[in-house]
Amino acid sequence: MNLEHALALIVLLPAVPLAQAPGGREAEPPGQSLFAARCGFCHGRDAAGGESGPDLTISPLVAKDVGGDTLIPVIRDGRVDKGMPAFALGASDLDAIVAFIHDQKKKADLNPGRRRSVDLADLQTGNAEAGKAYFNGAGGCARCHAPGGDLAGVATRLKGLALMQRMLDPGRNRGQKPNPAIVAVTTRSGETVTGHLAYRDEFTIALTDDSGWYRSWPTGQVRFSVDDPLDAHRAQLGKYTDRDMHDVLAYLQTLR
Amino acid sequence: MMRRQSAARLFLGAASVLARCVGSAGQGLDPAALLKPAVDSWPTYHGDYSGQRHSPLTQITPANVAQLTLAWAFQTGQSAQIKATPILVNGIVYISTPDHLWAIDARSARQIWQYRYPDNTGFHIGHRGVAVYKDSVYLTTPDAHLVALDARTGTVKWNVEIADAKKGYWSTNAPLLVRNHLLVGVAGDFDNLPGMLTSIDPETGKTQWIFYSTPPPGTPGATSGGATGGQMWMTGTYDPELDLVYVGTGNPTPVLNGDARPGDNPWTCSIVAIHPETGKLEWGFQATPHDTHDWDASEVPVLVDGTFDGVPRKMLMQASRNGYFFVLDRANGTSLRTFPFATVNWASGIDRAGRPIPNRDKEPARDGRLVAPNEGGGTNYRSPSFDPATGLFIVSAQDSYGIYFFKPEHGAYGWAGADYGVFGRGFLRAIDYRTGAIRWTHALGEGASPAGVLTTASGLVFSGDSSGNVLALRTSDGATLWHSSIGTVGNSPITYELDGRQYVVVAGGGVLFGFALPEGTPPS
Repeated sequence: MNLEHALALIVLLPAVPLAQAPGGREAEPPGQSLFAARCGFCHGRDAAGGESGPDLTISPLVAKDVGGDTLIPVIRDGRVDKGMPAFALGASDLDAIVAFIHDQKKKADLNPGRRRSVDLADLQTGNAEAGKAYFNGAGGCARCHAPGGDLAGVATRLKGLALMQRMLDPGRNRGQKPNPAIVAVTTRSGETVTGHLAYRDEFTIALTDDSGWYRSWPTGQVRFSVDDPLDAHRAQLGKYTDRDMHDVLAYLQTLR
Repeated sequence: MMRRQSAARLFLGAASVLARCVGSAGQGLDPAALLKPAVDSWPTYHGDYSGQRHSPLTQITPANVAQLTLAWAFQTGQSAQIKATPILVNGIVYISTPDHLWAIDARSARQIWQYRYPDNTGFHIGHRGVAVYKDSVYLTTPDAHLVALDARTGTVKWNVEIADAKKGYWSTNAPLLVRNHLLVGVAGDFDNLPGMLTSIDPETGKTQWIFYSTPPPGTPGATSGGATGGQMWMTGTYDPELDLVYVGTGNPTPVLNGDARPGDNPWTCSIVAIHPETGKLEWGFQATPHDTHDWDASEVPVLVDGTFDGVPRKMLMQASRNGYFFVLDRANGTSLRTFPFATVNWASGIDRAGRPIPNRDKEPARDGRLVAPNEGGGTNYRSPSFDPATGLFIVSAQDSYGIYFFKPEHGAYGWAGADYGVFGRGFLRAIDYRTGAIRWTHALGEGASPAGVLTTASGLVFSGDSSGNVLALRTSDGATLWHSSIGTVGNSPITYELDGRQYVVVAGGGVLFGFALPEGTPPS
């Protein structure tokens, strides 16, 4: 399969809610908004797994459930030991959520070859002590990061795969946050302008200046330097062993 | 077919002009023309059978390329990005996106006709281009059909199913024409489907033969170890002397679950040599034995004649998605050299047959494995180019990492796992195939560039970066000589000469751009 296939699927499959037929004109199934509001944060809005909750479409519990006989007690009482809270919901809401989960499973089963997901429980193989040692030593992480500083509570903000991806490349999913790379441009007249990197290719360098304006120059007509703290993360990709990666993740998971 | 109001009149006008200006107008495309394509044509996906994407044209040179300017632009009016290689025959450029085909005047970009395939639920991922034979043009479709149209008018002649879309097949393929065989490939990674390449009679649409890279169970020669897949979705190359077609095959399915399909899984992730008359396999070479990372070996098998270690050879070269470069003797498929051209960390060595040896520790696992390259690969469908004068093989490469997951709960059907790209950077690399040395590298930005490569005999490289710039570089050292910001650059530029003027045609987003030197530029 080619790259475009890959990209399109990464974008398309998780983004197309399984509850909607292609074309998306169908009425919203009962339980969808309820599920999204109450369950979606952990299990994903489509029940196919989220930041911390497993993919319910392949869950053995869902597979053996008949009309809520297994699921309703779990939702009502929670699985506190596994991190799932109890939900105080009325009978009709519980029925609607169970129906939605079964509906999602049915739709997922129709597409058995789809890309799969990763559960939080899959990512617990590292050794936090070893990860801490790597963080402070060979990994060089402590040169920029502090567990009580910028990383305080990181494991509360991000879990599982999302935390792993952010650890490997913090440049992804930054939303509106400014690029951490700082650019200093010296123009022909000798003026120096600094700001967050806004754009860069072979021919154009651009930054967002202190007043929030985008400013760009032809690369051939100015001198500039870029200080990008993410370079260290990218260089680290070639240095991590798989063991290191899982150990550091385990350590980060302790920073709640 | 959808006509604009005056399409018929336009067509008549264009045809009479063409009849005066082009000697071969009105003759259609004789398949023999593909053996030595004229410079006023680009009659097949790679331009010719070799896959070198190297043009003999020399009007545009390193000295004057800085003057390159817009000659025309063709707006498809569609949001779909053009990924196809334009095909030029008889002064008409045929350009396609999924479900769409346009015939436009190669001098002015004026639309001659337009065809729209009926709405369908096939996979609309991209389209690579058409094939032309005599007076017909052939379009593959998202629901894995092949449509034959009158190349003059866009009228449908026939429409045949190549593979069953309901089973999960689709097609983006630009068919390869060899004599009276139209070789059509399909794709399909979300279902466990046998890999198939179908030879179609271009006159009638009848199937002549089917080559299975992973023969269905029960078929004689079923040796794939339970694997399906190995789809041949890219256009192959052809050696007329050996009368062999070379095609790269895709990844096995289930994709990330290797345990379900023990062994090497031939002929997935392979280069296969096939007899065009019969569809019989002459030889196969596996670029990745037992692939578990979706690294199709579909990339262009480039044919080069030259000496290797002092011995004259008919060679085949592939910069493969798994990050390794292969030089083979294309008469028998034996390896001459194997070396990495992009960042790799998944192999523990090279075996005696020249194949990388997969390191089991880098197979997808429950807790994830950090693997280079990512799923997109060290390169991909974007075409490379070979420059005979310098002996450089120039490829748009990517250095990248991805994380790969598999657990038994993911099953053994279709994708059967999960993987995520982490980070990558694109580079144009000029490879000395004799030594594996990278003669020069030109950075293309973050992520892989979608652009392929074209070289010309004047010493120019045309390609594009990840930021939407089309580039002209000096072949000898990779220095930038010209650029234009046109949007996402679609695969490789092509070039041709009409009325004494050389055009470089390249897609940016949903627009096709024709560049040329200003009219009246004196020859350099």
